[in-house]
Amino acid sequence: MWLGLWLTVIGIAAGVLIGLNMPVVLPHAYAKYLSVAALAALDSVFGGLRAAMEEHFDNTIFITGFFSNALLAAGLAFVGERLGIDLYLAAVVAFGVRLFQNLAIIRRHLLKK
Amino acid sequence: MNKSTYLYITIFAVVVGSMLAMQFRTASSDDLPVPFDRLQELTIEKKQLEKDVNQLQEEASDLEAKLEEAMISHAGAAGALESELYKIKLYAGLLPVVGPGVEVTLDNPSGAGLRYGENAGYTIKDEDLLRVLNDLRGAGAEAIAVNGQRILATSEVRLAGNHINVNLTRLSPPYKIIAIGNPGTLKSSLELKGGLAEYLSEQGALVNVETKEQIRVPAYDGSLRLEYAGPTQK
Repeated sequence: MWLGLWLTVIGIAAGVLIGLNMPVVLPHAYAKYLSVAALAALDSVFGGLRAAMEEHFDNTIFITGFFSNALLAAGLAFVGERLGIDLYLAAVVAFGVRLFQNLAIIRRHLLKK
Repeated sequence: MNKSTYLYITIFAVVVGSMLAMQFRTASSDDLPVPFDRLQELTIEKKQLEKDVNQLQEEASDLEAKLEEAMISHAGAAGALESELYKIKLYAGLLPVVGPGVEVTLDNPSGAGLRYGENAGYTIKDEDLLRVLNDLRGAGAEAIAVNGQRILATSEVRLAGNHINVNLTRLSPPYKIIAIGNPGTLKSSLELKGGLAEYLSEQGALVNVETKEQIRVPAYDGSLRLEYAGPTQK
């Protein structure tokens, strides 16, 4: 249990190090899409961690969920900008709420032990 | 606990971490320090300003055209004033004029001026000159000069000793009067039977009237000054 959490945290830290040292800089126009996509992906990772703790982790669901959430969030931001509505806020709110829920459940699992 | 579960989670955690880092780098990169919204705002503002500039340029060209028009009309007004001034000067006798007319020569007979001598002849007096001028005016003379002195409304003709003063200039015989007008009318008005020419000839003066196709009457060259007269209030 604790191993999973630590692995996740270390993975994110390693990813941050890799990202900071990558020679590619994303064009500014895509920054908005990447931000919501990153939020969705973060939620997916914590969701996967929670599923692993509840012992019903499914590889396929995790991977498809990761990509579909990220793409949906970026797509919402894109469509919202075209329509003149800040649709990415929907993604931010939804994934933000889920992020906190997932973290709360993970916390309970860790402490219940 | 399945090991591959945590492996997958870790791999995707790495991906998420790199995404976050890239996002962080993009947000803090120096090549575009302004936020996206601000950029849009500025773009809209720029468009608005460009529109304003276009509008102002249009307005400027419009005003320039108006200015040009005003200049043209100003020049027209100045031209009208100038032509009016020219006309008035012409009427007043301040400009030399040419045209058909007559030349009247009045001269004292030889020996005149010897007032007390035996053969003291006739001396042309100011009155004679005035009558000639009056007759010429009556016959429609438009411009008259005596020995080069233009006769104006203010010109005097008066005897001063042996001479006659016109325009404060001393004239001596022979008096050459030139007048512009209808030559036939002018000549016949002087040479009427019992007219002035005949009368003067009888008095002993030498009178000669000649019509001319083209004579030149000089301009008044003195100064004009109104000391007492002023315009009336309109």
